Amino acid sequence: MLRAEGLVKRYGDCRALDGFDLVVQPGEIAGLVGHNGAGKTTFVEVVTGLVKPDAGSIRIAGVDARRDPRAARKLLGVAPQEQALYNTATVRDNFRLFGSLAGLRAGGLQAAIGAVAEELRLTDVLGQRVGLLSGGQRRRTQAATAMLGQPAVLLLDEPTAGADPETRAALLAAVRRRADAGAAVVYTTHYLPELADLGATLAVARCGRVIARGSQDSLISGLPGELRLRFEDRDLAPSIPAALAGRSTTVEDEIRITTANPPADLAAVLAAGCTPTSVDVRKPDLDDLYRALAMETAHAA
Amino acid sequence: MLPETLHRTGALMRHNTMLMLREPGPLASRIILPLAFLILLHPLYERAEAGSRGVTQAVIAALVTFSLMAMSIAGSSILTERIWHTWERIRVTAAHPAEQLVGKAVPVMAVLLFQQALLLGFGVGALGLKIQAMPLLALVLFAWTLTIIGMGAALGLLVRSLSAMSACYDIGSMIMSSLGGALVPLAAMPLWVRHIAPASPGYWAVSALESALSGDAGRTWAASAALAGFAAAACLVAWLRAGQSWGRSAGL
Repeated sequence: MLRAEGLVKRYGDCRALDGFDLVVQPGEIAGLVGHNGAGKTTFVEVVTGLVKPDAGSIRIAGVDARRDPRAARKLLGVAPQEQALYNTATVRDNFRLFGSLAGLRAGGLQAAIGAVAEELRLTDVLGQRVGLLSGGQRRRTQAATAMLGQPAVLLLDEPTAGADPETRAALLAAVRRRADAGAAVVYTTHYLPELADLGATLAVARCGRVIARGSQDSLISGLPGELRLRFEDRDLAPSIPAALAGRSTTVEDEIRITTANPPADLAAVLAAGCTPTSVDVRKPDLDDLYRALAMETAHAA
Repeated sequence: MLPETLHRTGALMRHNTMLMLREPGPLASRIILPLAFLILLHPLYERAEAGSRGVTQAVIAALVTFSLMAMSIAGSSILTERIWHTWERIRVTAAHPAEQLVGKAVPVMAVLLFQQALLLGFGVGALGLKIQAMPLLALVLFAWTLTIIGMGAALGLLVRSLSAMSACYDIGSMIMSSLGGALVPLAAMPLWVRHIAPASPGYWAVSALESALSGDAGRTWAASAALAGFAAAACLVAWLRAGQSWGRSAGL
């Protein structure tokens, strides 16, 4: 279990973390999302001990990470955002080092290397130098180094950024298996569909704190989506019913209507005699959630 | 606790040895160049300083100058890791910064001692170099190697690019060895150089090596103590940089 409470980290006048709270239970995957600069990476750096917080507490599987950072790190598997591998060493050499540092020895280490390589489809490249791998293979190698040793808490900072679909699928399956085995996983990303595939809960970070926490359904399903309509005759656009006009915008040759009930609004458009040549319904996504939360914050202020 | 520390340190030492052997160019250069220097230039030293003094000066010149240049092996191994972001990656494991530094230092120390032993062996076997007190010489080599590793580690954690590091060790090693009287005896250098020479670790290395080769225990211990002081100061800088966030890759 990971329990971070009241984390504060200042860089001069900038508060990178401003009362950051996050609790992740064993077996849970918490998708940590937020715009760049929201505090996600600083949070990862603070939990790993790379950056000392000005205030707050972190417990990793019950160990106080601020008081006994090394004991806490033994329970932690980390895949940082940037590639951090030995380019001139082979994949196996990298696994051997990070596995050994995670406390694995001899036969246990070899078995763990074999298992993680098979799981992430790296068996064929174990003897290859990291510098010669494709981008996707490097991504998987990096994630694998975090998973060796079966850590109690797994921190994955944008592990699939720029990854191809095959790499993404392999990584997501491996992360899901770690959670099923009882690990608490913090997974930072900008891709909501990944978190849906993982069955992850959401933690939305903004300005150095978590401003929303819960399941994806509870946070996003109530938000309005968008009905996007195109017409052969652009002059029909003004004929959109007045009730919808206040919620519509025109982008190039497309009319976009913000809506919580696309079928009803589409029916209203058709009833007004406007027949679109194409209809597209966009479900609410992370950007809509950010916007909604930002408006909520502004209203509260 | 101790077995875990030994296990992690051993893993880091094995890994760092493997990394050095995978890219053997710098090692070969630091081992072949001083031998070539000694083979080609020892007649010059023997002519300039009659008899065994010339051989001693030639061996010391090659040993001090090229072991200072080998500071790059220690520095580059750390800077490369900072560039690869593996320095931080190791820091977020259970490994203590001291384990990380020892894991780096021991393989480099082995290379440096091998380089120095090769030069001294060649001096004894081929040029007739006389060693009066082997234990004193071992003490000096150990203190000098620690100094070089400390300076290399500090450099590897201070600079921000391989070109900056290259400039630092090229300029630094030539200045330190020249100032120390390794290439040309201090007696033949301008008076002002002789005044500032003790500020260079090279000066104490030359002094310690001369004393150990001639069997002067008092001077050897004093010079080795001075080298240990330089080593301690450099290691302290490296330790602070490694333990704090200053050495982070983000700063590169």
